[in-house]
Amino acid sequence: METVLLTAYVLVWPVVVIGTLFVIVRAFTKEAREAKKQGKSII
Amino acid sequence: MLIFFGGSLYMSIRISRKRENADGYMTGGGKIGFGISAASMTATWIWASSMYASATSGYTYGLSGPIHYGLWGAFMILLIYPFGRRIRQVAPNAHTIAEVMFARHGRSSQLMLAGSNVLGSLISLTSNLIAGGALIELLSPFSFTQGIVAIAIGVLAYTLWSGFRASVLTDFAQVVAMLGAVAIIIPFIFFAAGGPELFTIGANNLTPEQGNFFSSDAFFNQGAPYIAAVLAYAIGNQTIAQRLFAVREDLIKKTFVTATVGYGSAIIGIGMLGVIALYAGVQPLDGDMNNIIPQMAATYLPPVLIALFFIMIIGSLSSTADADMTALSSIMMADIYGQNIAGKKKAKPKTMLLVGRLTMVGATAAALCFASMEFSILDLLVFVGAMWGALVFPVISSFYWKRVTNLAFSAAVIAGLAIFIPVRFELLDMSGWFGIFSDVLSVLGVGVVLGLMAFGFFGKKVALIVGTVATVAVAPFGIGFLHNYATLSGSLVAYSVSTIVCVAITMCNRTREFDFDLIRERTGNFDVSDVVSEASADTREEGPAEAEPVASSSTVSREV
Repeated sequence: METVLLTAYVLVWPVVVIGTLFVIVRAFTKEAREAKKQGKSII
Repeated sequence: MLIFFGGSLYMSIRISRKRENADGYMTGGGKIGFGISAASMTATWIWASSMYASATSGYTYGLSGPIHYGLWGAFMILLIYPFGRRIRQVAPNAHTIAEVMFARHGRSSQLMLAGSNVLGSLISLTSNLIAGGALIELLSPFSFTQGIVAIAIGVLAYTLWSGFRASVLTDFAQVVAMLGAVAIIIPFIFFAAGGPELFTIGANNLTPEQGNFFSSDAFFNQGAPYIAAVLAYAIGNQTIAQRLFAVREDLIKKTFVTATVGYGSAIIGIGMLGVIALYAGVQPLDGDMNNIIPQMAATYLPPVLIALFFIMIIGSLSSTADADMTALSSIMMADIYGQNIAGKKKAKPKTMLLVGRLTMVGATAAALCFASMEFSILDLLVFVGAMWGALVFPVISSFYWKRVTNLAFSAAVIAGLAIFIPVRFELLDMSGWFGIFSDVLSVLGVGVVLGLMAFGFFGKKVALIVGTVATVAVAPFGIGFLHNYATLSGSLVAYSVSTIVCVAITMCNRTREFDFDLIRERTGNFDVSDVVSEASADTREEGPAEAEPVASSSTVSREV
């Protein structure tokens, strides 16, 4: 049981990292698309 | 490295303008969207040293080590956001917090904050160059000096022309590379080192304290000093403030929460490499803890993933280094040239841009000198951290309490620093009365820190309750004990003394009350012509829009 918990403790962080990355990339893509549509620079 | 810096330079050229806007160079115009700002905040806060430090914490303190490093670092970002919203509310078009302090109090407050920001960014820049140089020396045939020069030139090349705009755009690519690498490398090393069985085979390599998730050793030596530093670093770091002024105001919360999760998961995850190394019985090369991460990579990763690991470290240090360069340039542009040399009304945008670019070149040269001399930056960092600690209450209260004066602000910071030095460096006998005196102040400091954290989210009433309860609860075991932890006590006394002095002097002021609306007037954009044309463009595209208030009148009476 302890081994399972410790394994989960080590591996949960990359999973959260992937989730955050997904949120950031999705938002960036949306902003880039909108900026392109309006003929503006994204920044 | 060529691909990495070449790609960053290409992105920067794509958005560059022949004539950059001075405000855009400092804050990107204050209208940046969620995707870029969350990526930038995450990338900036993750620096190479934080990766190394988290792994060191995991190796030294065991299971709870990475939590006591990464979690509190992540909270730094989260805890500042309520204050950030207030700061943007009173100063929507500012560029630095020091600039706002000039508008709120005057020159001495501004220069104290700006000075600590400059030192902090210079130290961070140096530290990132050192981390990069050491990595290049370890993993390539090039020398340390060649490594730091290559990184410095690479970062400067893509940041120099467009400043903050280039910094935040390249942060997006860097954060994708970094987080992507973290997500692959951690599980790979874990399974290569033995996977779940490692926890059975290597259990004997841990002391009982290292195997305890609720280790008091880890808390008092790593976690508690860091909790105390949380607000100080968030308030004192211009890279955070710059992104606060850059993001669209309604996206502040979302951005800060995402960056909190991104930073926390990445840094705690990297800290797990230290825990794995501990279980695997890995000994740091030459006894240097900073070698743990490169050693783990060299031992367990195939060549392709070593290249990915290299990109992760270079990405982390470049994103922070470019943020430090833009932070330094905005302080020199807005605080030194804009407010103190030319004056708000006479500042020329073209000259401001020149000042910003020259600052970047000068700062890079200085950081290269410090890095090549292998200058010990640790002691300097301690001083800057203490100065930031002493600044927290005066800065925050200045945004909420109308009666805080320039005298209260300045005296509080100086008094906080004055008490910090003998406590942190144990210049007086801590076993006698001074130790007890320091403990009493430290206990009050605990109340101040927790009270301020509560204040950001729940307001004054809850903050006073939390502060009082925390002080009373910690007093019985804190007095006679806390002085044994010099780093923690040093931070706490800086907080408490600056708070006591600031409150005492402010309470004496019963006549003067500051009008917060004046800050908005005094901190407008510098590059007015561009704002007007941008406002017109917005009007054409979105219908009637209200133009932003611009340059202030210097004849508005300033509080002394």
